[in-house]
Amino acid sequence: MTQTLTGRRVLVVEDESLVAMLLETILEDMGCTPVGPAGTVEDGLALVADPAPLDAALLDVNVAGRQVFPVAEALRDRGVPFVFSTGYGESGLPDEWRGHATVQKPFTEAAIREALMKAMGVAQV
Amino acid sequence: MTAIETDLAAALNASPNAYFIVGPELKFVWANPAYLAVTQRTAAELIGTPVFEAFDAGPGQDAPESTRQLRGSFEKVFATGVRNDIPVIHYAIPVPDADGQLAYEDRYWSVIHTPLLSNGVVAYVLQYAIDITELENLRRSAAHEEAGALHAIDAIVGGALLSGARSVQADNVRLETERQGLMELFMQAPGFVAVLSGPEHVIQIHNSAYAQLIGHRDISGKPIREALPEVQGQGYFEFLDTVYATGEPYEGRASRVLLQRTPDAPLESRFLDFIYQPIRDAQGAVAGIFVQGHDVTETVRSAERQKLMIDELNHRVKNTLATIQSIAVQTARSHADPATFAESFQARLMALSHTHNLLTRSHWEGADLDAILQHETEAHGSHRVTLNGPPVALEPAAALSLGMIFHELATNAAKYGALSALEGRVMVDWAVADQTRPVLRLSWREIGGPPVAPPERRGFGSRLIERNVRHDLAGEVKLAYASDGFSAEFSVPLQRDRSS
Repeated sequence: MTQTLTGRRVLVVEDESLVAMLLETILEDMGCTPVGPAGTVEDGLALVADPAPLDAALLDVNVAGRQVFPVAEALRDRGVPFVFSTGYGESGLPDEWRGHATVQKPFTEAAIREALMKAMGVAQV
Repeated sequence: MTAIETDLAAALNASPNAYFIVGPELKFVWANPAYLAVTQRTAAELIGTPVFEAFDAGPGQDAPESTRQLRGSFEKVFATGVRNDIPVIHYAIPVPDADGQLAYEDRYWSVIHTPLLSNGVVAYVLQYAIDITELENLRRSAAHEEAGALHAIDAIVGGALLSGARSVQADNVRLETERQGLMELFMQAPGFVAVLSGPEHVIQIHNSAYAQLIGHRDISGKPIREALPEVQGQGYFEFLDTVYATGEPYEGRASRVLLQRTPDAPLESRFLDFIYQPIRDAQGAVAGIFVQGHDVTETVRSAERQKLMIDELNHRVKNTLATIQSIAVQTARSHADPATFAESFQARLMALSHTHNLLTRSHWEGADLDAILQHETEAHGSHRVTLNGPPVALEPAAALSLGMIFHELATNAAKYGALSALEGRVMVDWAVADQTRPVLRLSWREIGGPPVAPPERRGFGSRLIERNVRHDLAGEVKLAYASDGFSAEFSVPLQRDRSS
């Protein structure tokens, strides 16, 4: 049932390296290829602008003192599904993004898989 | 003047009754011959003179109260445009005696003040004063005689009427005192208060708290839409209209309003608790609105600050939990044995916790590099680790990262490196280069340990070090596994531009 995620390239935007390392570990365990991680909004935008294929993204809402939404807009324009990760939960999102797939810190592997599948529109078996 | 006005002026001049007219500054504007006769003054003496300069009620005990009463009556008529009567007032006036010297003479008067309107505004007040001194004296002397005599005199000169008027006047004085007491309470009330009249909500009275709220603008007598134009479109005028139309009170809680509190400055946002209550006339119809409330801006702001702080705290706690989760997951991967996992995990947790302690001591402003290094290495013997460098203040994020990095270095040295051998030592040297964009250059060198070979696979410790320096600190690190000892060279910018 994780096969739908196997081989997917998933961008990680997260400013804390330990949390980023955890996300990479979890993604690798699911068979995904982590892209990044980007520790700033600029680095995130550069990776979205890169022509290399992207299947999904995990975005920390607060990156190095800034909000990640410019990266979210760039991903939306490119048609790449993404999941927010935040300590605030979904209620911490501004109206424009409310209801979007979100995982709360700290996260489990199951929560990340579920959120990625929801964002990618992949039915769970 | 029209014919009828000329006739009226002539009639007033010819009247045996005493009349005079004052302007808003309470100066004589005009007085008729009867008034001049009763006061024994000339028009030249009086016209242009303030009333209370010409006549100050003399030295008597009740003189201050009498002048206050008379002045109050004038002011009331100017303010309200409604006629006011003082049935009996004791008011001494200076009169020239036989030698031409002025001497105060006790007089009693009955006074009527009538507003004279010009374009709907009170321009002048006409005073009609009847000298009732003789009647009063008669009553006063009779009061010492037997009661029957008093009744007789009253019967002859209408004294009953006069004594009725006297009691009404006593009531008036009492009511006036109460009214003034209430006005004072109203004006000094800590909350804002205003009285609006009519369907246009004309501001009749407002207290100092109200004046402060709206930035001390001149709003008296103005319709509210004219007085506070910036409030248009914020809904408040419509609430007033509804209260006036329906007679139902309206209450607002922590309601936001934008006000022009300083001329030419941007509108200021205030939060108000308030109530609009209808004021009804004798027939029960709504005649105005009583506005009262409190500026609760500070309370609202502090609640907002508290919410922000709780959100921020939640964010930090959740991030810290995610960090600990990561440490646990990564540590578990390199420790199959639960006992060594627990030891290693706890040591990492303690390193993180200690840096938190250092930061808490400085109220999360930063921590000193030397203090962090000391704590992470002291367990291995201070004589075996040499720390050499200037004081360096680290920002909280950098302090947390370096705390974990030094913990990994020290743990590795104790397990596999110089601190695992009896004679081994660690030298840590650092300096800050480039004072405009300061960069910390730090070297960790191990000597006297067992021969070193590069690890077969990179463990969590070295991955954490490399990732942390590059990712969290935007710096560089080189780990070197020379055969005579491990070394690490760090280069870390100290003022990280967060926006880049």
